[in-house]
Amino acid sequence: MLGKYRIYIHKLMILVLTFAAAGACSGFSSGKTNDEGLGSVVDFVHELDDYVPQKKQYNFYFTYKIVHPWWDAVALGMEDAQKKYLDKGIEITYEYMAPKAASEEDQRKRLAAAEQGNYDVIGVDVADAKTITPVLDKMVDSGYKVMTFSSSDAEEGCKRIAYVGNTHNYQDGANLTEELCQKLGYKGKIAILVGSHGAPCHEERAQGAKDTIAKYENMEIVAVEYDMDSIENAYDLAKQILNEHPDVDGFVCCNMSNPVGTARAVTELDSNAVIVGMDHDHEALNYLKDGVIYCLGVQDCYSIGFDTLQVAVKIADGNVPGDLFPEKTNEITTIIYQEDAPAMLEVLYGDALQ
Amino acid sequence: MKKIRITEKPFATTAVVGSILIVIMLLANTYWAYIESVSSTNKAVSAVSAFYLESMADRRSKTITNLIENNFDYMEKAVSVIDDEKIENQEDLRAAIGRMKKLLSLNRFALVDEDNIVYTQYTTYTGGSRHPFLAQDTMSEKMMISTVYVYGSSKELCLAIPIDRYFMGKKFKACFVQININDIVDLLAFDDQESTNFALYSQNGGNISETELGPFIGKQNIIEATKGTVSEEEWNAFCNDFASEKGGTLNFTVDGVVETLCYEPVKDTGWELVVMIRESVIQYHIQEISDKSLQNNRVQIIFLLVIATLFSGTLFIMFRQVAKEKLDEEKENSKVLESMANTDSMTGVRNKHAYMETESQINSRIHAGTMEDIAVVACDINGLKYVNDTKGHAAGDQLIKEASSLICDVFKHGSVYRTGGDEFVVLLQGKGYDTRLETIEAFNQKIEENIKNNAAVVSIGYSTLMDGDEQIHDVFERADQMMYERKKELKRMGAKTREFTDEKNEKI
Repeated sequence: MLGKYRIYIHKLMILVLTFAAAGACSGFSSGKTNDEGLGSVVDFVHELDDYVPQKKQYNFYFTYKIVHPWWDAVALGMEDAQKKYLDKGIEITYEYMAPKAASEEDQRKRLAAAEQGNYDVIGVDVADAKTITPVLDKMVDSGYKVMTFSSSDAEEGCKRIAYVGNTHNYQDGANLTEELCQKLGYKGKIAILVGSHGAPCHEERAQGAKDTIAKYENMEIVAVEYDMDSIENAYDLAKQILNEHPDVDGFVCCNMSNPVGTARAVTELDSNAVIVGMDHDHEALNYLKDGVIYCLGVQDCYSIGFDTLQVAVKIADGNVPGDLFPEKTNEITTIIYQEDAPAMLEVLYGDALQ
Repeated sequence: MKKIRITEKPFATTAVVGSILIVIMLLANTYWAYIESVSSTNKAVSAVSAFYLESMADRRSKTITNLIENNFDYMEKAVSVIDDEKIENQEDLRAAIGRMKKLLSLNRFALVDEDNIVYTQYTTYTGGSRHPFLAQDTMSEKMMISTVYVYGSSKELCLAIPIDRYFMGKKFKACFVQININDIVDLLAFDDQESTNFALYSQNGGNISETELGPFIGKQNIIEATKGTVSEEEWNAFCNDFASEKGGTLNFTVDGVVETLCYEPVKDTGWELVVMIRESVIQYHIQEISDKSLQNNRVQIIFLLVIATLFSGTLFIMFRQVAKEKLDEEKENSKVLESMANTDSMTGVRNKHAYMETESQINSRIHAGTMEDIAVVACDINGLKYVNDTKGHAAGDQLIKEASSLICDVFKHGSVYRTGGDEFVVLLQGKGYDTRLETIEAFNQKIEENIKNNAAVVSIGYSTLMDGDEQIHDVFERADQMMYERKKELKRMGAKTREFTDEKNEKI
């Protein structure tokens, strides 16, 4: 059952990639090349599509949730696209800004400041869908070209022009939790760690986890905690949970910092709790390699960044979702296991043997 | 002293044995030269390789150090220049950064403000989590060097310096450049010309440059890869050298092949630059050189062999030619001598010596009973003395020649001998014997005509071998007797003659 489900997830990802490569989502991702196996988890080889920008210079503003390595990976994809446009004689400048701690208030201030700047497009990784969506709608109504990107979209019905990023956070949370349930034989006590309050991607994953656990009568959620995207907080919270619930059997970690802090705590307290989590943190991958973490859901941040810049150029030229780009550009998430860790470390950090 | 006569066989044997000896000597000499060459090269390579590698590692390490120092200098200059410019907004700052980046060829040149916002030529971003050197709030060190493992597996060398400048009303605390390790590898490889393997390693042995250090280590962690290939003591020393940024050399054997590597720390980076030369590669090159040398020697030997063979053959043919010529010459001389011994120099007919040899042979055959029919014609020139006395010896000699010619002309099928001053003997055998009577008749008629014509007159008598003759001289005696009878007869016919006294004959 376990193996069958795992194969299903892999096949699903391959199918998504195949459709993408075949041009089902035409325009925004053409030119991608995906190798089999781990090469398809994160695609570092991109070429710009055939779209011919109408201007020689663009200036964008992007704001994301928090200063964090996950968004640094997105930034690298953006820089790759920026260099490729420059090679074609198109100069793109942009700001890529975030607060040290996730804050919807900070994001609102940044967006307000951005309105005063001379930007062709304003991109937002929504810190809190509920409070930020109205802000975006207002900006659009005021004539600003607004898009969302990377981890979190705005609420349904938002007037933002397009979204590039993970569109399946709920399913990611559900898939990871299903892996955990299988590992535990569909019985046991589970703790859920979430990132920031209101962050759509984190909340959706947590919801997916909760719904999955609810399916199995012998499984129980003993704690749900928010680390506010801080590894130290995650570590403290995990220790706290382990102390309060020494019999906890597993952790579902919904963001990038959760699994790192939890793995540290599990290792320190010599717990046998099974950890499933998100993202490609270097330390988390090493815990995966060592068997402390059972599996990780890895998102293709590089492609998110690359595609974000391409879509931004098209939006700046006045294009709307359609043939040139979809309203939601989906990027893949792949679940990897202990045996995948060395290769993934090598692919992402080139240091599997460091 | 005993003289050895050189014949064809000893000569050929000597030539063959000599050639074989020459070839063997050449082969032995070539093989010895080959062995000596390989041995000397091995010794030289062993001695030089370690020194060569140390020198190579040191030079490359310094190349990186120079690159780092130059970048630090350039950053200082760039900041100084930007500080002098009028920077009022972000666009001005980006433009200034772009100019400096281009002017000084700086890779990813950036400024960082006090909020850890990074300003590059095209982007501005919050970089607190992206650049490790920004993790600390305060920057105490003057120069910071760090290796950055970038998401996507590329690695960069980050060089940062603290600054204390104000642009756009904000305080800026640092500037940095990031150099892709691949660019450094290209720089080092430019100097390498593929003569060695090299790679950059972190202190714990991880391969930073992604270059292969030979087929055995490849891109692996060098500390892990060499574990078990040397003694534990040597390996621990190797690890300690890496950890404490020291240089050194390491020799290890894999599958019987000795590997030599030399490592040199790159100042302030925590890197070790490792250069390796694979002995099998050296051996391969030596072998290649030796093979070429051996091939040349083989060609040389074959060439010499061919030349020697051709030379020997030519020599042999020449010798045969010379020997044949000598032999022919000798035969010719022998013939001449023999001819001179048996020929009358005046008339050209066989002389008395020849007649005596023939007489001896005939006698032997008579004694053996194998002698066939033979007739002896005794001839004597009439009036020779008279001519000598009255007309001189020259006229006498002329008469002898005339008479001899006459005898030879008539007795075409006989053997003519001049046995005395005016005496000739003709031996008739075979056809000469069968036609003897007609011939003698014709001769006598000619003589009788000569009397009338005052030409040479020759008296002849003849006899044949008869039963009871023990020797040819018996026949000759009868012929001689008959000849004297004829001489008288010719005198009567008017032929001139000389006066002489003989016990058997009356004086004419």
